[in-house]
Amino acid sequence: MNWTRLSLFFCLVGSLFAQDKLVVWHAYRGAERIAFEKLVDQYNQTQPAITVSTLAVPYDALADKITAAVPRGKGPDVFIFAQDRLGGWVESGQTVEPLDFFLEDETRESFLPVTLQAMTYKDSVYGLPFNYKMIVMIYNKKLIQKPPTTSTELVTVAQQLTKPDAGQFGLAYSFNDFFYHAALMNAFGGGVFSQSKPSLNSKPNIEALNYLMKWFRQDKILPEDPSVALITSLFNEGKAAMVFSGPWFLGEIESGIDYGLAPLPYIEEAKSPMKPWVTVEGMFITAPSKHKEEAYAFIQYATSKTGAGLMAREAFQLPANAAIYQEKDIAENPTLSVFRKQLDASVAMPNLAEMTMMWSPATTAMNTLCRGTDTPQEAMDAAQAKLVEAIGKLRKAQ
Amino acid sequence: MIRIQSLSLPNLVGLLLAALLALGLIRWFGNQTLKADQHAAQVRRAVISAQALAEGVEGLLDQDQGEHLADWITPWLQKPELEQVRILRLSGAQLLYDNRETASLPRRLNKDEKDFFDQANRLKSARQSNIDEGLKRKDEIEISVLPHQLQVCAPLVREDKVVGCVWARLNTVPANPWLSTLQVVFYALVAALLFGLLHGLLGQPKSAGKAWKPFGLASALLLVLVGVFVVLNQAALNSQRQKASDSVHQTYQSEYDQFVQGVAQLGLALDPPAENRWDVDSVLRPIGTLDAQGHLVSPELSSGLSFRNLVLCFVAGWLILIFVGLGYAQRLVRTLRENREAYLFVSPAILAMLVLVFFPFLFGVLLSFTDSTIYNTDKAPSEIWIGLQNFKEILFDFDIMTRTSDGMVINFDNFYWTLGVTIAWTVINVFFGVTTGLILALILNTKNFAFKRIYRVFLILPWAIPNYITALIWKGMFHRQFGVINQVIQMFGGEPVAWFDGVFSSFMTGVMTNSWLSFPFMMVMCLGGLQAISSDMYEAARLDGASRWQQFRFITLPSLKIVLIPAIIISVVWTFNMFNIIFLVSAGEPGGATEILITKAYRIAFEQYRYGYAAAYSMVIFFILLVYGYFQVKVSKATEAHV
Amino acid sequence: MSGELSKKAHLGLHLFMLVFTFLATYPVFWVFAIAFSGKQTLLLADVNENPTFLDRLRAVFPWPEHPSFQSFIDVLSDQPFARWMLNSLIVAGLTTVVSVFLACTAAYAFSRFKFPGQRAGLMAFMVSQMFPGTLMMVPLYIIVVKYLGLGNTWWGLVLVYTTTAIPFCVWMLKGYFDTISIEIEESAILDGASRAAIFFQIVLPLAKPAIAVTALFAFMTGWNEFILASIFMEQETLYTAPVGLRFFVGKYSQLWGYFAAGSILVSIPVVVMFMFTQKFLVSGLTSGGIKG
Repeated sequence: MNWTRLSLFFCLVGSLFAQDKLVVWHAYRGAERIAFEKLVDQYNQTQPAITVSTLAVPYDALADKITAAVPRGKGPDVFIFAQDRLGGWVESGQTVEPLDFFLEDETRESFLPVTLQAMTYKDSVYGLPFNYKMIVMIYNKKLIQKPPTTSTELVTVAQQLTKPDAGQFGLAYSFNDFFYHAALMNAFGGGVFSQSKPSLNSKPNIEALNYLMKWFRQDKILPEDPSVALITSLFNEGKAAMVFSGPWFLGEIESGIDYGLAPLPYIEEAKSPMKPWVTVEGMFITAPSKHKEEAYAFIQYATSKTGAGLMAREAFQLPANAAIYQEKDIAENPTLSVFRKQLDASVAMPNLAEMTMMWSPATTAMNTLCRGTDTPQEAMDAAQAKLVEAIGKLRKAQ
Repeated sequence: MIRIQSLSLPNLVGLLLAALLALGLIRWFGNQTLKADQHAAQVRRAVISAQALAEGVEGLLDQDQGEHLADWITPWLQKPELEQVRILRLSGAQLLYDNRETASLPRRLNKDEKDFFDQANRLKSARQSNIDEGLKRKDEIEISVLPHQLQVCAPLVREDKVVGCVWARLNTVPANPWLSTLQVVFYALVAALLFGLLHGLLGQPKSAGKAWKPFGLASALLLVLVGVFVVLNQAALNSQRQKASDSVHQTYQSEYDQFVQGVAQLGLALDPPAENRWDVDSVLRPIGTLDAQGHLVSPELSSGLSFRNLVLCFVAGWLILIFVGLGYAQRLVRTLRENREAYLFVSPAILAMLVLVFFPFLFGVLLSFTDSTIYNTDKAPSEIWIGLQNFKEILFDFDIMTRTSDGMVINFDNFYWTLGVTIAWTVINVFFGVTTGLILALILNTKNFAFKRIYRVFLILPWAIPNYITALIWKGMFHRQFGVINQVIQMFGGEPVAWFDGVFSSFMTGVMTNSWLSFPFMMVMCLGGLQAISSDMYEAARLDGASRWQQFRFITLPSLKIVLIPAIIISVVWTFNMFNIIFLVSAGEPGGATEILITKAYRIAFEQYRYGYAAAYSMVIFFILLVYGYFQVKVSKATEAHV
Repeated sequence: MSGELSKKAHLGLHLFMLVFTFLATYPVFWVFAIAFSGKQTLLLADVNENPTFLDRLRAVFPWPEHPSFQSFIDVLSDQPFARWMLNSLIVAGLTTVVSVFLACTAAYAFSRFKFPGQRAGLMAFMVSQMFPGTLMMVPLYIIVVKYLGLGNTWWGLVLVYTTTAIPFCVWMLKGYFDTISIEIEESAILDGASRAAIFFQIVLPLAKPAIAVTALFAFMTGWNEFILASIFMEQETLYTAPVGLRFFVGKYSQLWGYFAAGSILVSIPVVVMFMFTQKFLVSGLTSGGIKG
């Protein structure tokens, strides 16, 4: 046996011990998955201390898998998920690790503020924001030369383009879905929770709904029964001049349609622009992880200009990292820049555990409202009563 | 003097076993109570110390930025049980004090001290959310129990915000192990004796009839034994509790004195607390038995062994006595021995079921008696035990109709409405599934019927294709504007129907989808069942001049029963709990009217996070099905053996 | 019912069967139409404004505008779908073998022996199906993964699927065994045959139709299950086909074209398995063992 062999042997043994594994769970497929795996490969090459490996899980199963595995110490070190389940995971414990201790001011400031807010639950930051999604205005360039910027313009333009008999509408969006309606609600200063108490029937919420009903009933610029399928089909057939939808909609637009993006308009009656809810995908460290520091180093890399930039360029994600938007190719990208602009007028979707209870009464309220059986006040009073009851049963003083 | 002989061997063994169990249980419960009392007292003392220290530190930080921190704390360190004290300021993660630290303080926390920082942060957000919600829901002081140690983390509060924490680790006196060596020897001896007796007992031939008299005698003896033991046990418990409670007062008083002394020595402008802020529970509410100086103002609550537990202990023992004394044990062993072969055949399947079905089931039963929610997953079942309250809330809610401005409106959230929907759902689905499956099987079983194989393969498709997509296609077919069904209606001049807006039509969308998904299964089962019928029987019937209907009625149907009954029972059970279809197709629209019990239970568990209540809901579902199954089996005599 | 039917009756039955089969397979045609459309939308009948009868007829006819194989190609190349199909076959195959075997032995005992606990045992099997499983995911996970250590293995899944399938299999087989005449067995006992020999050489061959049916059922139990398979497995190479299929359903975008194509691929083995079991479901199978 010669020396080179021996040293090689020791190197191998050494690397066996040194190479700890960091497991990341995500729900990506297709281009996003390829880009993310590339990011992980790059990270593995930059440092020798730890090897990051990934596991793709179908989105439908990821939350359940995390809930089942992580508190039993069987889960990954890092997972990627949107903020909507964050509150539940914090409350049930043993799932997500608070990051305030790691988080330096410099890192904190590197993210767009709304996205970091989405990762914050009761004053503690639990994840680093990776990317975000929200609705903007998508318009058919053939029908609209200059997208409206105010509600007056919007109504005028939309009315010109609406011909209900021909099934043609100036504006189409899923206004009966509370997620979409939130943009108007936030413009009027409303919200579903205030100080973690339900506030579905607050005054601004009612004003927002009254305003929506003006668009729907008086101005008649919106179609009835606006399911996602209907809106997609209207837009693809050139029968909807404008829609409010998110980045997921862009993939559904047929190749023949020449479309443009613009921020949502300013609502003069509310003295505020429409502010849609933002959902933010964050990278979370699990509470039982044995490699928390290494995990933090990885998620810091992934959400940095390098990592998130890669995801933006190769998988068209909207990065939460602020510095990326300074780079020329991103700043000039017509899609990314519009979303970036919209982010300044937006609200992070609440991440309270109790949000899950809000959807069902809110949906019922929106349905009765659109069917015309209830006024906004009646509908929201009923929804509020249900939500208060459900929360009261859950939050009992122990 | 009672003569041992008059007890008879089985009763003697039974009595011994029963006494062993009952006394052991009482002893165990007693020990639990004792441990709980001692633990509670230790926790209270630790909290008092930590709170007293925190109050002083808050004052110090206010007045001189913590210059005298070390001087203030020094007297505390004299406590023999105190291991370590740390003080943290959240802003900047500054460690202000640590009696074990040699480096200069204050300093920033190290990376391996993250848990400490997180703990302080947790106290901060707990206080904030308790204020926001107007409830005392989250622990505002954290106590963690280690083996022989206790850690307390009390908040430092400034202007109603938590700015840091005082953390202390104290040694605790180990609680007595519940079996002393002497007891172990005693129990071992008794066990050996029992083994000998049992051996003799099981070898005995079966005695004729039940011997009530010796059994009664043994029961009386058991009662006396238990009674004596309880009295002794209670006395011991009471004296221990008194000691524990005294130690709490003493701690409080000495902390108070120390506080006053410290203020005087350091010349601080600090007042001792004007009310009891130190002897508090985990959400900082005063426990209320002490005043500001630590004098007892109201008697401590006495818990002791509850009457219920005592009865439980006795009954457990008595059941053993019945089991052994009245000869059931003997019989059990004999049956096991005689039917070895049968049990051997059955056991692998039963074993698998036991592990994977009955353990989770027991867990569900346990959960259904608790108030478990997302907020208290870390608590033991005994802490959140609420007995039958969940069941009461479900079953005694008769608020089916509500009066509103529009007149009487059905309350779709009510259990009985949902139960009605579920029953209708099950009956209609199973009826459609079974009749369709049966008719198809009969047609496909016709002699010389051409293309059978092709029909069969096509008809199996609804079962073969993953139902996730087919259910969504059905949902799409019912779409008001793009739905195929409405298109066909319009083709023939009808008006489109908004299927999901009406209660009945929405309900029917689910029914159609589910019947479509379930008929192939029934068809295949019937086809299998039809093979059990010999063609000779039809031959004979035809010779007797039986009509086609008569052949069906008196030959086919009775023979198919053997397959149909289990298939019907099982599909009733499945349909009752058919979660996917409702969830995917009608999603409970409109307004939750077409939910069934299982989707409701799902929402309660995963949208409202009330696990205990959802478990109770599941138990109710289980009992409804159990009652159904029992009667169905009884009527159809399906469990009987062939021989 | 056996017996000769007239030609006219046959024709009538065929007419009925044709119409019924068409209606029953209509949603399935849509699955095919979506799979071959090369698009990802689940939108079914899209018509212009003021459609004519023919427009509507075209819309309700499940035929893609531009038929293409693209979805199938993508499904097979985008992910290791073939590998996942193989995994599914292994898991469902093992489930079938284990549950049919266990169910046969248990059912035989329930049918042929009289022993205390017999009714209770049979009832227990049925009762086990009554407690809603949706809420039992976490306890199941704890038992299988934490205590039995069967996470990330096929055996964990096989165990769970088997216990799901067994109760019905036992009931079905017990019913069928009851119809098999006991005289043969009795004479075999007189000839000195052991219980095991009787069971394997006499009873099982006679119960073929029922075994075929239960096997199909057990196979299906393991074949289409999605949530437990994705929760138990920690390596992508061990995923089963239903897990692979769900990747096409994201939070915001659903790729129904891929999903439909994958669904068709997934159902092929089931159809093959059914064709195989069909030969045991041939009408008029008479054998001396069946009790008259």
